[in-house]
Amino acid sequence: MTAGLQGDRGMPGDDLRWWRPYCSPGPVEVFHVALVPHSGREAAAWTLLDTEERRRCRRFLYPAPRRQFVLSRAALRAVLCVALGCDNGELTFEFSRYGKPIPLVGGDRVALHCNISHSGSHGLVALSHRGRVGVDVEERRPRKNLEDLVETVFGPEERALLARLQGKRWLDTFLALWTAKEALAKAWGMGLRTDFSTFQVPSEMLRGERTGLFRCPRISNATWRLEDIGCDDLAAAVAYEEDREAGREF
Amino acid sequence: MSSTEERIRALVDENLEIDGRPPGRPLDLDSSLRDSGVSSLDFVAFAKLVAQEFGVEVSMEECASINSVGELIEFLDAKAA
Ligand SMILES: CC(C)(COP(=O)(O)OP(=O)(O)OC[C@H]1O[C@@H](n2cnc3c(N)ncnc32)[C@H](O)[C@@H]1OP(=O)(O)O)[C@@H](O)C(=O)NCCC(=O)NCCS
Repeated sequence: MTAGLQGDRGMPGDDLRWWRPYCSPGPVEVFHVALVPHSGREAAAWTLLDTEERRRCRRFLYPAPRRQFVLSRAALRAVLCVALGCDNGELTFEFSRYGKPIPLVGGDRVALHCNISHSGSHGLVALSHRGRVGVDVEERRPRKNLEDLVETVFGPEERALLARLQGKRWLDTFLALWTAKEALAKAWGMGLRTDFSTFQVPSEMLRGERTGLFRCPRISNATWRLEDIGCDDLAAAVAYEEDREAGREF
Repeated sequence: MSSTEERIRALVDENLEIDGRPPGRPLDLDSSLRDSGVSSLDFVAFAKLVAQEFGVEVSMEECASINSVGELIEFLDAKAA
């Protein structure tokens, strides 16, 4: 059983809401989801989840990933209900071959694409009215062993850019490149199964622009728009289809 | 405990941030990394470190097919065999 939630009706009140509009590049709406511990929000979020999602919650081993899942999935449900004008009870998800959630209303696919990402206390939900979308967020915090990863995940121009940088600028650029690539890989639905070293972020972004167009016929026939949507607290990127490749889902 | 397992447990404790895992709590080898809250970036960085320690190569595709620390140990043992 899930709580009734027709559009805005039945949704947690403004004072309790843990998601807010973050940015809206092109046809995409991105919402920020606060994932800090908050018993009232977590209780409200729980009521929005369906039986399958609650079962999934029981598999999490520690409170932090469970909280991230509950708060971000409930926020996804809330924004989808508003965008689709549907009742929360009608909303379910099917999963693509590699696990990307696809929203269904009354068991049918809808003309809206979504993706979510969470890291530490930040979640992002992206909705696209035009085509496939992928989003990735990484909390800005010190991380171990990233230097040794450069050869594995970046192409030659990306490596050359990183080789010129140090300290905070190196880490910021690493995370900008990683989130851009993961946003693309999540838009394609492949996730980590894409070899990140075989494609590079658009050259205009390597030159410092916040957005660029990505084309790589070996991977996808569509043209993708990539946007850096990071801020002081988080590194993040969103990737969305500029023109639709006929009905392809991995 | 196999020597691979012993070395991996030490590497996990030193390098892999498992959000909320109480310090000193023994690692469950069969638990899903995703269910433990390990992000893909942290896991790929960890798998690369472990591969270097063991003198083997690990591709991203191989990383994507590894779901638990137990599977990482099996992967390393198979590469060494
Ligand atoms: C899932 C994956 C695409 C993103 O991982 P991540 O960066 O750690 O996590 P993010 O927070 O950015 O994204 C997670 C969300 O992406 C969505 N997602 C899952 N599979 C996806 C896919 N193939 N494509 C796009 N989105 C996907 C889900 O909504 C998931 O959130 P949820 O589980 O709360 O519903 C990536 O880890 C992967 O390909 N994993 C497969 C192999 C694996 O799990 N190995 C274990 C080590 S991490």
